[in-house]
Amino acid sequence: MASNETKSSIDVEIETKTIFGYKGLGEMVLDFSFVDEETKTPPPVGITQEPWPKDVKVFQPYEVEQILLPDNANCLSVQAFLKMCHLDFQVEPRANAEAMSPTLKVPFIKAGRFVISELEGIVQFVNGKGISLTDKLDNEQKADMRAYMSLIHNVIEVAELYICWIDQETYNEVTSVRNGSVYPWPLNYVQNFIKKHQVIKKLKALDWYNKTLEEVLQEVENCCEALNARLDGKNYFFEDNPTELDALVFGHLFTILTTPLPKSDLANIVRNYPQLINLVQRIEKEYFKKETKH
Amino acid sequence: MGTVHAKAEENFTEAPAFGDKNIFREPTETFSFKEVDLEAVRARVDKINVDGLSRTKNDIVEDCIKELFKAKDFQDVLLKAHRVSQSQAGRAGVFQEHLRVHRHEQGPEGHVRRLGSDVQREGAQAGNGGVTTHVGNNEGALLVGMRAPNLFGRGERVQMEYSHGSKKTSNFNVAFIKPFRGRHRPTLTTSVFQTHSEWPTSGYKQVERGLLVDLGFYSAPLLKHNVQWEGNIRDLNVLSRTTSFNVREQCGLNLKSALKHILSVDLRDDLIFPQQRVALPADVGDRRPGRRRGVPEERLLPAGELFHSRGFHGVSVLQACLSGGHMSSLSNDMKISMSDMYYLGGPLSVRGFQMRGVGPHSDSDALGSMSYWAAGLHLFTPLPFRPGRGGFGELFRTHFFVNAGNIGNFQSVKGEDLVEALRANLRLSYGLGIALRLGNMARLEVNYCFPHAFDKGDQVHRASSSASGCSSCNVRHTPLGVLPLRVRVNRIVEHLKCTFEEISRIPTIVYEICCLIK
Repeated sequence: MASNETKSSIDVEIETKTIFGYKGLGEMVLDFSFVDEETKTPPPVGITQEPWPKDVKVFQPYEVEQILLPDNANCLSVQAFLKMCHLDFQVEPRANAEAMSPTLKVPFIKAGRFVISELEGIVQFVNGKGISLTDKLDNEQKADMRAYMSLIHNVIEVAELYICWIDQETYNEVTSVRNGSVYPWPLNYVQNFIKKHQVIKKLKALDWYNKTLEEVLQEVENCCEALNARLDGKNYFFEDNPTELDALVFGHLFTILTTPLPKSDLANIVRNYPQLINLVQRIEKEYFKKETKH
Repeated sequence: MGTVHAKAEENFTEAPAFGDKNIFREPTETFSFKEVDLEAVRARVDKINVDGLSRTKNDIVEDCIKELFKAKDFQDVLLKAHRVSQSQAGRAGVFQEHLRVHRHEQGPEGHVRRLGSDVQREGAQAGNGGVTTHVGNNEGALLVGMRAPNLFGRGERVQMEYSHGSKKTSNFNVAFIKPFRGRHRPTLTTSVFQTHSEWPTSGYKQVERGLLVDLGFYSAPLLKHNVQWEGNIRDLNVLSRTTSFNVREQCGLNLKSALKHILSVDLRDDLIFPQQRVALPADVGDRRPGRRRGVPEERLLPAGELFHSRGFHGVSVLQACLSGGHMSSLSNDMKISMSDMYYLGGPLSVRGFQMRGVGPHSDSDALGSMSYWAAGLHLFTPLPFRPGRGGFGELFRTHFFVNAGNIGNFQSVKGEDLVEALRANLRLSYGLGIALRLGNMARLEVNYCFPHAFDKGDQVHRASSSASGCSSCNVRHTPLGVLPLRVRVNRIVEHLKCTFEEISRIPTIVYEICCLIK
């Protein structure tokens, strides 16, 4: 067991290097390469054997006035995942959370001296503490789970970006106002311009930029269809216990359902799948409602 | 060619006036140029021919040469002609000037002489450029510049500069400069710039993009004011994954809009080192994100002038310097960014410490403070036993120094005595070394430093302090390994200049002055 641990800890090391080595290059390829890497290596056990630190903070943009749909979805996914693992954390809103993140993406957590960003990295880090939601899954199921997670990243998340930044109505009424809200004039315009440019570049690389809204919605519908089929009436995607996939689906679908946008097409599509809505409600009730009663 | 016609006074009714000044002329004495008292030589400028200036507008030329008509004697003519070249139009690159005085004509019987003074003015070309190297702040930089002087005929110029430094700094700057006529010699400068810089000692890198509008004017001949507004978007980022979280928290874009008033007394004498300057720059206030008030940066280098003006040819020079700064936030929601903070320590401030090594640190990244002061006393003497005297040895000086300073948020202890707060936790270091003049390029100092008083958080060289009971500040990878040596390259001006301007069709003005020598 001990040798196993050391071995896997080396794997983790390589893993992180790969992730950060690619930082700043086109992110579009990254999602896939992460997944490939992960499927090859078993989930890491034990980067360190230190217990979960007490002062863990999740850094994210301000929820009320700043955060955008895709970011909010990712932040909520991470929160859901940590709650599913019954780990303590505090949410720390920061206007510059995105710039603070090592991968320039929100959310990220600070645990002791470690700073880890995005769901995949955080899942690995938590696994390193000996806490895992996927212990009982066999390799095939794990591969499945990662495939679905990458599906969400590559379809739903991209669609959210498309709606927020490319759809002119949403951009003018919501995105530009919220994204620029934390900056003084004229920095808000500059920042919106830069961010929009980045998103367009990413969407072009993924070949989504030239899609029409209908095509985008069709992609989302296909994705929901696939998720619906996978769920197949079960409580969670993999039997009775939630996994990070459930956290990710919850984060995205909950945000889509609850965020008011000028165009409610995304929410309308999701509403066609009562099973998925049930899942979202179940997770919210189980992991988030308790918190609010406190 | 332009010509100035100056003649001896034809109206000799004023003759008594120069009779009074005739202190050197005895009828029996044979004339010698060496004995000429120029002030006693009466002269008058009648006419100045200006030629070869095509773009330059008349008013600005008239403006800068009209002083010459007021000249009363020959010395006056010379001085004023020289001053023309120093004038604003001259400095703005409208034309350059060479002063050449020669005997023009010998009058009969040695009484009346015509002296000719040619003042040539070469109009600057439509555009020129150059590649220069620049050493300063422990960094060497390559500078590529292009400029279009005298664009609209009144000294306006556009210049573009790009520099790339050895410490990964790069700077791009396009400026438009417009001098105005007037007694206070006002100059308006607007520039757009982009600057990259990396600060490994603080663990961050920064990109600045901004706009600067500057109005400079003189209220007294040497007293220069600059009123500046700077709008600047800064993007701060961590340098590496291991950077401290305190630095990481500062990441992101922020906007700085600053209003500055800089007051400087320029006492440079254009010799070897450019820093012969007593400068009192004061930022009056920043609108955002914080403001510096009072006299935040004060630099007094009274003896620095002495040192520099004598260069390395003087005997022993004592130099004292003092600097200090303070800033405070205008309101709580305007945060002062790390890049605005004051840092202390390193080759250019308090020796004996690493660069930015004094003051609060987090994981060895310097965080900076809101106030500081630093002082230094330096003694430069010739090398012991004067090897290479009069030659190579003159490039070297022995250097003894004492540096002191303190940094912190002194305002928070306002209730106590301020002097006490400034003195508490004082850092002191002393040492000796050798200063070397590298051509006209740089001054290189190799010093052995003994930090005498320092704080726990400060970065001194622990390894050497444990061995010898002293410690030093040094460049991290010192070539001498164990020896705690520090290399300091002082601020430099000039350059390996290779210009590729075309020297053809040089517009010229020639002054022709006729003087009467009794």
